Amino acid sequence: MVNHTAMMVLGALLFGLGVTGFLTRRNLIIMFLSTEVMFQGVLVNLIAMGLMWGNLQGQALGLFVLVIAAVEAGLGLAIIVMMYRRRETLDSEAWRGMRG
Amino acid sequence: MENALAYGSYAAAGAVALAVYYAMPKGERASRPLPAALLLAIALGAVVLLLTRFGGNTAEDVLFYAMGALALVGGVRVVTHRRPVMSALYFLLVVFSTAVLAFMAGAQFLGVALVMVYAGAILVTYVFVMFLAQQASSGGGGIAAVLNYDSNAREPGFAVIASFVLAATVLGVVTRPAFPWNAPVRDADVMKATMAKAASEATESQPGQAPTYNENVLAIGETLYREDGFIISVQLAGVLLMVAMVGAIALAKKTLPRPRHDEELPPPGEIGRKAAPY
Repeated sequence: MVNHTAMMVLGALLFGLGVTGFLTRRNLIIMFLSTEVMFQGVLVNLIAMGLMWGNLQGQALGLFVLVIAAVEAGLGLAIIVMMYRRRETLDSEAWRGMRG
Repeated sequence: MENALAYGSYAAAGAVALAVYYAMPKGERASRPLPAALLLAIALGAVVLLLTRFGGNTAEDVLFYAMGALALVGGVRVVTHRRPVMSALYFLLVVFSTAVLAFMAGAQFLGVALVMVYAGAILVTYVFVMFLAQQASSGGGGIAAVLNYDSNAREPGFAVIASFVLAATVLGVVTRPAFPWNAPVRDADVMKATMAKAASEATESQPGQAPTYNENVLAIGETLYREDGFIISVQLAGVLLMVAMVGAIALAKKTLPRPRHDEELPPPGEIGRKAAPY
């Protein structure tokens, strides 16, 4: 089995990568994909924490994270489809009407 | 230095952040692969050195580092690629690397569920939405086109700094030598003993016969469905899934216009185009 500290380092780095993508990209779908990368980091961290404490509660929580990720992907993509139908573009800058 | 692992992981995170900054697309230039690859290699080398020196066992380390490197490279390319379809494919790489890591950590059910749900459902949904929401760019249309809002990263410097600070915060806690503070034992044998105990309790005891079920699935089932376990959360997760399904169908539904009495129906390919956005 793996070293749990190493897995948590990887999870933290994956989470940071997801945050970078969410803050940087302008395409709505890529922003959502970056949140999915964040979910992967959290999942790796949860597995490592289960390994650390010696029971399976980390994996059970990981299953719930998976459920939430699926729910969020479905609903978020439905909203993105609606937003695309409104403005005919996937650019998030098209929705900056309330800014400044 | 009292905690070289923490400072080394900060340096590795900084190298990853710089690599992401160099890999961001800007205008006509897609990305600068050479500095990004160099920095990523430095970061991975630093992580490998630190963990082999301060970390734990050395048994399955090669596979772990290979999968970790694949996950990180895939993550960087998800975030920095110009084309959304390629981002989705690199995310598939991340999912498979995480699934292999889950298998190595003994979480076999979670690894298979990860592949089935993420690669089989969520990514397919993403690709379908990319099909639905495609538009023509200046250099030819279709799903593989590069659009102008995809070519430019929006303030990559500040984003990289912010995410590096966030990742370094998590790393600083995780690599502390006294973390966690009250854990009774930190060993993989305890995990194996837990799962073997669950397997031996669940199967009908015929001494001398190996259990025919997967130990990890049995143990996860026992954890989820015990009274002091996650049974309420399982019911709530089911309710949440049903609500999300109803919500997604209600949101994405398009109302088609009914023709009036004196006008005829447009051909089937044209009905949907006359409908207003929802």
